[in-house]
Amino acid sequence: MQLKKKSPTPLRLGLMAASCALLGSPGAEAQSVPDGEQPLLIDTGLLYYKEDQGRVQTIEPVVRLKKDYGDEHVLGVTLTYDSLTGGSPNGAIPAKKVQTFATPSGTSLKPVSGVPQTYTTPSGQVVAALAKITLYSIQPGQLPLDPNFHDRRIAADVSWAQPIATNTNASIAGHLSNELDFDSAAVNGALSHDFNGKNTTVSAGLNAELDAVKPIGGAPVGGTDYTQLLKGGNKSKDVLGGLLGVTQVMSRHWVAQLNYSYDKSNGYLTDPYKIVSVVDGTGAETGYRFENRPGNRTRQSAYFGNKVYIAGNVLDVSYRRSKDDWGIQSNTIDGRLHIDLGNDIYLEPHARWYHQGAADFYHLYLNQADPLPTYLSADPRLADFKATTFGVKFGVGFSGNTELSLRVEQYQQKPTDTSSALAGLQGLDLNPGLKTIIVQLGWRYDY
Amino acid sequence: MRLARLVGLACAAGVLMTMTGCGTLGVKPWQRDLLAKKEMALDANPLDAAIDDHIYFSKEAASGGRGFGGGGCGCN
Repeated sequence: MQLKKKSPTPLRLGLMAASCALLGSPGAEAQSVPDGEQPLLIDTGLLYYKEDQGRVQTIEPVVRLKKDYGDEHVLGVTLTYDSLTGGSPNGAIPAKKVQTFATPSGTSLKPVSGVPQTYTTPSGQVVAALAKITLYSIQPGQLPLDPNFHDRRIAADVSWAQPIATNTNASIAGHLSNELDFDSAAVNGALSHDFNGKNTTVSAGLNAELDAVKPIGGAPVGGTDYTQLLKGGNKSKDVLGGLLGVTQVMSRHWVAQLNYSYDKSNGYLTDPYKIVSVVDGTGAETGYRFENRPGNRTRQSAYFGNKVYIAGNVLDVSYRRSKDDWGIQSNTIDGRLHIDLGNDIYLEPHARWYHQGAADFYHLYLNQADPLPTYLSADPRLADFKATTFGVKFGVGFSGNTELSLRVEQYQQKPTDTSSALAGLQGLDLNPGLKTIIVQLGWRYDY
Repeated sequence: MRLARLVGLACAAGVLMTMTGCGTLGVKPWQRDLLAKKEMALDANPLDAAIDDHIYFSKEAASGGRGFGGGGCGCN
């Protein structure tokens, strides 16, 4: 006698669809499978990410496994490998003369045997204690990029989810990752409860993360003169966060989700490889300072997500509003339309719009005549900018259990503050923005 | 604090909706055919979502929303 696999009831799947994305953790996601032991799901992706003008490029294979042992006892494992190369902005602005920097990143801090090196500061001072440091020069008008940047990252995520009472599920997940100069470990747990005829799910979760920051060459003393290369040892930081969510089946065609998240970071939040240009009243470079960020940060966000079934297609549209105590506010609108072309073929156009304000301590550059601020950064990621993403995904199903997909997108940042009124900086694009291409191949198989 | 107030209001609205309005908002078990489609899951493509979150986390100051706010990466 052949045992028939217990099929998902519309009730159950509807409920789980409403609750699954609750915490964004594999454990929470695992709730979307029905009762009864399920095949092993293998979901893989190969990401190619490339920024323009010789900046960062990444190749990232990801493998995700999900196994349902029945009765919603679900194990999830995700493995990620990142390989990054290219040039990374060091924070200094372009100038009308050649600029020379010492690279602190990648492995270029290895001794350069037999080649004593010196570094001449913009004021003419020769610094001789840099024999182990590779120098790089930036041509006039060019954005200073550290060309020796490279890194690799290995990450593993494991999750487990199961019911703990009628209509109540629990999940726990862990994360470990390693980079050349950064280690991270995190755990999170979540509870969700369904009621109102399983049309409503409320959820709550907590997350704790501990990071070890091991900058190549040591962590600079924030705010100090770049040419002095005052550096300390390794640093650490921790993040504690919570998330509350409500998911509601609105109608036969619409399910909505509302999340509120709060997290607090403490410790070393500075980017050890970023500096800030210092200019005089004419705009001429007079030196550089290591950036320095506050040692704590509190962030809040509200997220409203929706799935709407429209004439055989599915619209996924969301809005996110976030704010932190560094003075950064942001708004994000994201939409994609899953268009079913028949014969297991689909097309998924995607558009995203993002805007953030600058951090209170963001400076495109510092004026030498002004008092040195306690906190300072010229990291473009803390600037005021708009960003857009446009792309499309194409997927084809085979044999009822295999799917191949290709996603191609373009992501572009347009900073607001890109120029200066100072004579020596006229005509320079001080923050040229960013344009990237994202290509992702996917293969998914249900054993 | 304005965001906190907005979020508070949104949460209150959500709770209120949950407490009072769900009887009219929800559907009956036999009306879940469309909701049961895998594309209708809020996390229909978790791998894509994870990759996107990682990219945006490394390039922007805000992160998270659907879940916890990124992290686990020295890229930002």
